[in-house]
Amino acid sequence: MKFRCERDVLADAVTSAGRAATNRTGTLPVLAGVRMEVTGDELVVIGTDLELTIRLTVDVGGERDGAVVVPARLVADIIRALPAGAAEVELGEEELAISAGRSQFSVRPLALDDYPAQAEPSADAVTLSADVMRDALRQVVRAASSDDARAVLTGVLLAAEEDGLRMVATDSYRLAVRDLPESSVLGSGQRVLIPARALAELQRVLDGDDELTVRLGEREVVFEAGSTRLTTRLIEGDFPNYRNLLPSSHPNVLTVDKGGMLEAIRRVKILAQDSTPVRLTVGGDTVQLTALTQDVGNAAEEIDASYDGTKMTVAFNPDYLSAGIDAIDSEEITLSTMDPMKPAVIRGAGVEDYLYLLMPVRVP
Amino acid sequence: MDAFYVSVELRRRPELRGKPVVVGGDGPRGVVAAASYEARRFGVHSALASSIAKRRCPHAVFLPGDHAHYSEVSREVRDVFERYTPLVEPLSLDEAFLDVSGSIELLGDGPTIARALRAAIRDELQLGCSVGVAPNKFLAKLASVDAKPRASRDGIERGPGVVEIVAGEERAYLEPLPVERLWGVGPATLAKLNRIGIYTVADLTTVGAPALAASLGQSQARHLTELAVGHDDRPVEPDQAIKSISHEETYAEDLATIEELRTEVVRMSDAVARRLRRQKIGARTVALKLRFTDGFRTITRQTTTPEPIDQASIIAELLIPLLEPIDPTPGIRLVGVSGSNLGPVHQQLSFDDLAGAEPGTRESTVDEIRDRFGAEAIGPASAVRNGKLRTVRPGAQQWGPNQTPPE
Repeated sequence: MKFRCERDVLADAVTSAGRAATNRTGTLPVLAGVRMEVTGDELVVIGTDLELTIRLTVDVGGERDGAVVVPARLVADIIRALPAGAAEVELGEEELAISAGRSQFSVRPLALDDYPAQAEPSADAVTLSADVMRDALRQVVRAASSDDARAVLTGVLLAAEEDGLRMVATDSYRLAVRDLPESSVLGSGQRVLIPARALAELQRVLDGDDELTVRLGEREVVFEAGSTRLTTRLIEGDFPNYRNLLPSSHPNVLTVDKGGMLEAIRRVKILAQDSTPVRLTVGGDTVQLTALTQDVGNAAEEIDASYDGTKMTVAFNPDYLSAGIDAIDSEEITLSTMDPMKPAVIRGAGVEDYLYLLMPVRVP
Repeated sequence: MDAFYVSVELRRRPELRGKPVVVGGDGPRGVVAAASYEARRFGVHSALASSIAKRRCPHAVFLPGDHAHYSEVSREVRDVFERYTPLVEPLSLDEAFLDVSGSIELLGDGPTIARALRAAIRDELQLGCSVGVAPNKFLAKLASVDAKPRASRDGIERGPGVVEIVAGEERAYLEPLPVERLWGVGPATLAKLNRIGIYTVADLTTVGAPALAASLGQSQARHLTELAVGHDDRPVEPDQAIKSISHEETYAEDLATIEELRTEVVRMSDAVARRLRRQKIGARTVALKLRFTDGFRTITRQTTTPEPIDQASIIAELLIPLLEPIDPTPGIRLVGVSGSNLGPVHQQLSFDDLAGAEPGTRESTVDEIRDRFGAEAIGPASAVRNGKLRTVRPGAQQWGPNQTPPE
């Protein structure tokens, strides 16, 4: 195997594929590597941990066909560090040589034969707008759990609704729901659970492409955008019945500027240490944000707002709160609540296709 | 306060006045919490094993401790103190430091205030107390001991009631005293001091600092030299923040199985959680204490959570796994649970909380039931034995178990 490629192009490909590689103990050692294969003028780079697979196709100046598996992080680091310009990669008898200008590296490969075989996707392809999808992922993936103890919550639910597609994620403290009208990937009534980690990677991949192709199989789903293909297994299990959580009415509604609110939380949060919450006091023409950490100090800020409802103080985890507000795509947000022990709904003012439901923090 | 627990009991049982009375656990492992001066004539004193007390004074009347009642009375006593100064630092239920330097202009000098205070407590609460008046806490405590009544084989000697150590006369007062009267001189330190020829406070002042440091270590030597000349600059601190909340119980019969230990951990966790909630506080560190019967070996195990907690079930869930590697077969006589590293409770509510009752209602309902109907009205199911709920009453077990009533 021998080829030449622009340093930045090659570095991106190895880094992206390398994100699916794994150093977890107890897995095949070869999974810590990326597989590179040259056929003609085409290089294919693959990384996988058997759950998520990222595959990139890059145009190169191919000289000799061949394949190799090399340690993902090490090789990505090497290529990024090379001098700008073209890099040359050549597989020798025992080592992979990487060079550019007067820099020379050689790396011992991993066992090519141990690398898991990759199947070509077979399911029917459906095309979605990459922009719309990226936007939706940005809003929903943040609410998924990273705790493997409840595997279903580490996934994002894709469910066919009457008028399109719905995406839902929750970590049991917050819930994000995004409706994508006129998009359809699933059969009528179909629901699938896709690992949030895979979708977070997809979000990165979708930068700049127009179309996203989705092939939904029995056990896995394949996304393709531009030169990147991302395959992930589906999560088995029943997603909790989130519909019950969505409140039918909210007597108290706060409307406030998104940017101003995010700024205020960011400042007040400095004094919300050790899982101390930020308290919002509503009633009147302002909302007051306060945080108090025992034996450390306190912070307070007041911002203009409009409020319809009874005066009350509600406490939230500041990170969860700002994540919800940040997800909103409009200049004004509304925060509606029943009482300080019930979930609050965050929406964009006048925007119906997204909501972020957040449980408060019980304070003494 | 003079023989506080006994004096409080005598208010409700006046027929026992003039008799030897002991408050404490009367079971095989009980200890004396307080003894009347009549009982003290026979060599009965607090912290003595009840079995020995019974031998020394077989005709003494043993009363079980009623901690809740003593706390109430202690509060009444404190209310009297607070009429004389807001700077009251309780040391225990029956001892307190009062800083009256701001009250002298209004109420008279130290001994005048002390006499007024004694009279008020005697007239209003029918209780006796002794007061030490001095320039600092260490000397005041010393003087208060000398103010107390004294019991000996020959009879009971009424104490002076008020003893004052006047500024400038500290050394004259201290020097003749045996060195073990100094704060911090226990049996171990006393032995070391005796070894280098120190028996009185005066002896201590004549020994050079290097010799003392060589025998006791730098910091303790400095501490004792300061006290020996009557120096103590600790201020009277009212409302000291609570640092930990704990409950422990000594059993009349040893526990020998993990199941029994588990049941006791649940009971103790319940008691600790209840008091945490009372103080509107949570514990980040929870600890388990076990004392084995053989050799009084005591072990502690602890664990820390990221968030302060105040719920019995969570405390028990954290502690029960710690029992796992412990072999209880040699027999365990004491189990204790404590919470420390205290801070306000912030509980991130979850959607799961919405499924059942309102978050936190279980605990607040239990608290409400107990406030209204008493501590025994509700408790963990595992604490039911022979159809009777054995909840933990604060302080009930402080002095060891009472004899188990016949079932």
